[in-house]
Amino acid sequence: MRLRVNGQEVEAQEGTLLLEITDPPHLCYHPHTETRGICRLCLVEVDGRLLPACTTQAQEGMEVRTDTQELQTLRRTLLEWLALTTDLGQAPSLLALLKAHHGQPQRWGKLPLNRREREPIRDNPFFLRDYAKCVNCRLCVDACGDGIMGVYALALEGRGLMAHPTTPLDRPLPETPCVFCGNCLQVCPTGALRPLSAEV
Amino acid sequence: MRTTCPYCGVGCQVEPEIQGGRILRVLAPDIPPNHGALCVKGRFGLDFPFSGKRLLYPMVREDRHQAFRRVSWDEALDFTANKLLAVLKRRGPEAIAVFPSAKTTNEEVYLTQKLARALLSTNHVDHCSRLCHSSSTVALSRSLGGASMTNPLEDIWKTDLFLVVGSNTTETHPVIGAMIKKRVRQGAGLIVVDPRYTGMAEAATLWLRVRPGTDLFLLNAMARYILEEGLWDQGYVEERTEGFAAWRASLEAYTLEEAEGITGVEKEKIALAARLYATTERAGAYWAMGVTQHTKGTATAQALVNLALLTGKVGKEGAGLNPLRGQNNVQGAGDMGGLPDVLPGYLKVAEEAGRKRFEALWGVGLNPEPGLRMTEVFQRIPEVEAIYLIGEDPVTSEPYQDHLKAKLEALPFLVVQDILENETTSFAHVVLPAASFLEKDGTFTNTDRRVQRIRKLLDPPGEARPDWWILQELGRRLAQALGRPWASYPGPEAIWEEVRRAIPEMMGGITYRRLEREGVRWPCPHEDHPGEAVLFRERFNTPTGKARFFPVHYTPPAETPSQDYPLTLSTGRVLFHWHGGTLSRNSQLQEAYPELKVEVNPKDAGRLGIQDGEIIQVVSRRGRIRARAWVTDRTPEGVVYAPFHFAEAPANRLTLDALDPFSRIPEYKVAAVRLEKLD
Ligand code: SF4
Ligand code: SF4
Ligand code: SF4
Ligand code: FES
Repeated sequence: MRLRVNGQEVEAQEGTLLLEITDPPHLCYHPHTETRGICRLCLVEVDGRLLPACTTQAQEGMEVRTDTQELQTLRRTLLEWLALTTDLGQAPSLLALLKAHHGQPQRWGKLPLNRREREPIRDNPFFLRDYAKCVNCRLCVDACGDGIMGVYALALEGRGLMAHPTTPLDRPLPETPCVFCGNCLQVCPTGALRPLSAEV
Repeated sequence: MRTTCPYCGVGCQVEPEIQGGRILRVLAPDIPPNHGALCVKGRFGLDFPFSGKRLLYPMVREDRHQAFRRVSWDEALDFTANKLLAVLKRRGPEAIAVFPSAKTTNEEVYLTQKLARALLSTNHVDHCSRLCHSSSTVALSRSLGGASMTNPLEDIWKTDLFLVVGSNTTETHPVIGAMIKKRVRQGAGLIVVDPRYTGMAEAATLWLRVRPGTDLFLLNAMARYILEEGLWDQGYVEERTEGFAAWRASLEAYTLEEAEGITGVEKEKIALAARLYATTERAGAYWAMGVTQHTKGTATAQALVNLALLTGKVGKEGAGLNPLRGQNNVQGAGDMGGLPDVLPGYLKVAEEAGRKRFEALWGVGLNPEPGLRMTEVFQRIPEVEAIYLIGEDPVTSEPYQDHLKAKLEALPFLVVQDILENETTSFAHVVLPAASFLEKDGTFTNTDRRVQRIRKLLDPPGEARPDWWILQELGRRLAQALGRPWASYPGPEAIWEEVRRAIPEMMGGITYRRLEREGVRWPCPHEDHPGEAVLFRERFNTPTGKARFFPVHYTPPAETPSQDYPLTLSTGRVLFHWHGGTLSRNSQLQEAYPELKVEVNPKDAGRLGIQDGEIIQVVSRRGRIRARAWVTDRTPEGVVYAPFHFAEAPANRLTLDALDPFSRIPEYKVAAVRLEKLD
């Protein structure tokens, strides 16, 4: 099957995701968690429409653009909003991306609600849940649930800006089925979940 | 840098980030077998090498009642060599036993058994898999001619039905447990045979809650039913097996009605399980200690083998017979000849062909008499006068602890080579401090036959040295005194090169260079070979190429409940700990699970007036321990479950040393006990 990416012919197999053959920035996609299409950072232009590359399969004859002016602006805004609402202090790759896109979060002014004020939760011997740093990508929820563990100790709660992953009924982790495998830590892209051993 | 988790046989690949003498975090690379996933032990339990209990210097003493004396390596090795030589001279090779460890590398196990066989002429070589999968080994070897998993872990994704017997997979092989559960979410069936409501039972499509120690009856009844209903694979049985008629005749007594009475499982459920297993093309059997640690462990494993042969499940993708090996390098320790009856590559010591090969390679004559198994060695003390113990803690892991301690007290010479002080150290005459997995190079072989690298990320603390170095130095001294040849190796890779030459049909194609990126599975006869995934596709490894049925019969456990001891004790592990606890309890894991909890069914607890969380005593004919009661219906009525990780409350003080007649594995899973309140 053949399609065009930024004007170039590309050969792809049936079922391939656009993300696998193009290279847009991405945040919520992970091969093992099956999380898809939440962060919108990976949007690309397909035959004139904007679609997430992580959920869109390559098709014969597609015209894909990954780096239009419009996409650049959109990514910049998305990244600025992440930086505005979230402490990206432990997410070096996101900070680099923000810089690469000349992001200036300040230009949006102050937010009435802010997740940055959330206190870290330290309820088990192994790791912290520091949701001030959480970008709501859901990777942890899916790693714990269907993606890897089938344990379902984490779920998304709340709405809009205040939505965040937590345990069912906000219980301390040791009171959930959590098995402390740390697979949620491994997939978390922002350091919101991190081992206590890394704390100084 | 990438290395291999030192806990269980899954052999997960890990990348510990080490800084300033501690582990900051552990991530996992996206390669087999774990593809980025880990369990709590690999993720948070790798810090035991930093424990204050590390053995740092060689120490010796003349007898058990003196204090240890810190000595130089030269002195410790000279002392050890002289003592071993004296026993050899006075009493002969029969009085010396050498135990390699399923926690050390392939290279080190190879060197250990070489030292025992080529220099000390003893075949009393064994390791801790005696206590876990020896029953599977006997059954699989005699039926198929090979004793490993027949299928690779990747086959889990191709399996449509799992038959999991006596394996608490989500706690003991967690990454495999998660894989199986995920495959079940994708639509595969899961039949679990277990008395306890484990994570696996919870995920099961069909859970058969057998009475402890009755699985054999259930499996035989399944086979009989499959025959009766004509659901078996006649073509497969005719072409690929032998011994069918005699076996078939042996199933007469195993009716569903009888099975219901003995196992406590409704006969409809047994029939359904049999039907599902027989009629699903890609049905894989997985099992662990719940099958093997019985006086009829071999028979039960055999019943599973028979069932798989009857339904044509061996030699096919997504199916097979898959014993889940316990320790990280149990597979490798067997492959490298860490067993009393076989040389590396499973060549029998009793057969000339195998002996000849190694006599030529090592330049010495070899003892043709198979050695004693580990459990027998301990029973033969003080006839056995010297034991060289590497990375094992028998005081915690052997059954009937008081008996074993008395034996060790009577042992004239014990060498303990280990990384951490444990319950057995205090019985030693020589302590040789070894390097941990983070401090040396080498290979481990995981449960699905994948040879994988471990890499040196740190220098060993104090004067600790890698086991291979210690063995090589000791070997040099023994060889000199005995006038025998002994090669000197610059490092683990050179030892591995000798292994490749020794057993080319198995390891010939596996080089360190190939292992750089990811592990390679044996058999791998040459460097262009990808490594075999599914075994026995065409023929079995028996003289005729056919698999053999063996009739096996149900017998009750060695000890059944009585008036004074009305409950059945079953021992095992919990997610957060590992075996004797030497590693896990000296790591961050200890904080999550600090003390012994025994599971008591609410009905038993109610009758005895025991509250959840109360401290009680568990008493058997052999001893008593204190524990916290965890009142839960995970455990069936009449059964008490105790993990054996806690040296201060050792479950093995309660277990008995009744052994399986073929594998010599103790019956850890059934002992009669009573619970007492502390007043
Ligand atoms: S550590 Fe707990 S919450 Fe995180 S993935 Fe594992 S089970 Fe889920
Ligand atoms: S905690 Fe981490 S993985 Fe989970 S949603 Fe937030 S940023 Fe994503
Ligand atoms: S499953 Fe086994 S090998 Fe993997 S991380 Fe856990 S203990 Fe280590
Ligand atoms: S990576 Fe595609 S939407 Fe997040």
